[in-house]
Amino acid sequence: MSAQRLISNRTSQQSASNSDYTWEYEYYEIGPVSFEGLKAHKYSIVIGFWVGLAVFVIFMFFVLTLLTKTGAPHQDNAESSEKRFRMNSFVSDFGRPLEPDKVFSRQGNEESRSLFHCYINEVERLDRAKACHQTTALDSDVQLQEAIRSSGQPEEELNRLMKFDIPNFVNTDQNSFGEDDLLISEPPIVLETKPLPQISHKDLD
Amino acid sequence: MKHIINSYENINNTARNNSDCPRVVLPEEIFFTISIVGVLENLIVLLAVFKNKNLQAPMYFFICSLAISDMLGSLYKILENILIILRNMGYLKPRGSFETTADDIIDSLFVLSLLGSIFSLSVIAADRYITIFHALRYHSIVTMRRTVVVLAVIWTFCTGTGIAMVIFSHHVPTVITFTSLFPLMLVFILCLYVHMFLLARSHTRKISTLPRANMKGAITLTILLGVFIFCWAPFVLHVLLMTFCPSNPYCACYMSLFQVNGMLIMCNAVIDPFIYAFRSPELRDAFKKMIFCSRYW
Repeated sequence: MSAQRLISNRTSQQSASNSDYTWEYEYYEIGPVSFEGLKAHKYSIVIGFWVGLAVFVIFMFFVLTLLTKTGAPHQDNAESSEKRFRMNSFVSDFGRPLEPDKVFSRQGNEESRSLFHCYINEVERLDRAKACHQTTALDSDVQLQEAIRSSGQPEEELNRLMKFDIPNFVNTDQNSFGEDDLLISEPPIVLETKPLPQISHKDLD
Repeated sequence: MKHIINSYENINNTARNNSDCPRVVLPEEIFFTISIVGVLENLIVLLAVFKNKNLQAPMYFFICSLAISDMLGSLYKILENILIILRNMGYLKPRGSFETTADDIIDSLFVLSLLGSIFSLSVIAADRYITIFHALRYHSIVTMRRTVVVLAVIWTFCTGTGIAMVIFSHHVPTVITFTSLFPLMLVFILCLYVHMFLLARSHTRKISTLPRANMKGAITLTILLGVFIFCWAPFVLHVLLMTFCPSNPYCACYMSLFQVNGMLIMCNAVIDPFIYAFRSPELRDAFKKMIFCSRYW
């Protein structure tokens, strides 16, 4: 490695033991390293480094799992059913296949955007949740689509939701949604720019 | 390159006391195999993205950038192996001008691949972060034009830095810059992913009480960061030790494992497609389509 040239430069100048010294390639002619009088094991850096690395990664994993087990301090059980409905609609809309050229031909595209908008608002501002809830409750198309798309059994729906980790990932088929986990590499919904301002305005009103 | 000199001068080397911390030598066939597998995998990822119109999204372009840098890293190893074989067969002079130039070019290829990997991983994490936290504005923030510009800037910077690092490799600040990029990027990626993970956790908490989904998320995060740390940290430490304590016996014992550390970087190029590219169902489908279509040709 060329970074070793530094060593060869310095040590060769110090030792001056090589008559055919060229400044580039005297790599491992560093000079004899004395292994006498070692207090610790000679591979102590190697062992210490790998053990430290393993401990760090395991510690990171345990911190992450502990984060999963500790509860969120502001969990509201009263609104859980409401949020579940919204999450249902949101999730079922996200279960649609991603077809950029058919984005507008899809029915309920506006509903998906409004739901998405509602979802984000729910995360950030809980006081807007009621307005969004009314909007989504009035959209019978959404409920119809959800009913059509869901398997029809609440348990499977709940199972699907339980596996839902991160929003904003659109899957090509319904079945793969449950298998997706955190940080799956899926592009977000293709939101066309043309009607988006109009829809946003409609939602904001 | 070091390996060229090693294979030549080990025969004549009697000054070193070989009973203490002998250099761990891996057969070149292992390097060759891993490198070829790495090149093929990343080539498949690139082909799958460029052949499919529906995969021409910014996110996949960042994954392609990572695949390119992994491919360059594997190519570097293949070229080096070829040079070693030519050297052992006597076609190349030990210190000829062609060999030094070829070695410089190969070294800069390696540094380019390293830096490209680092920046690609950072950009992928940033893209995912924007996807989650600025979801509604994602398509106005991350446009195709901006993606291309960002990738062009990154690769130009990496190329320039690679060439500069090879030219100025005998200066300590170069080494410090090089090795500090790794922890900086690690901290950056860690912060982004942990923040994303916290958001995902809070959402699953609202809709269910089962920790299984969060456990999966924790495992995925650990794999992503763990692979990166395990594959890059040994080499970075090697460069640091080589700069600051070359004649220390402990450091020398660590540096005797250089080939193992290099192999870990090659393994990173092999593992990266599986944890980034092939996690996407769309890309898997495109890949399957490619395989099955090629069967009918």
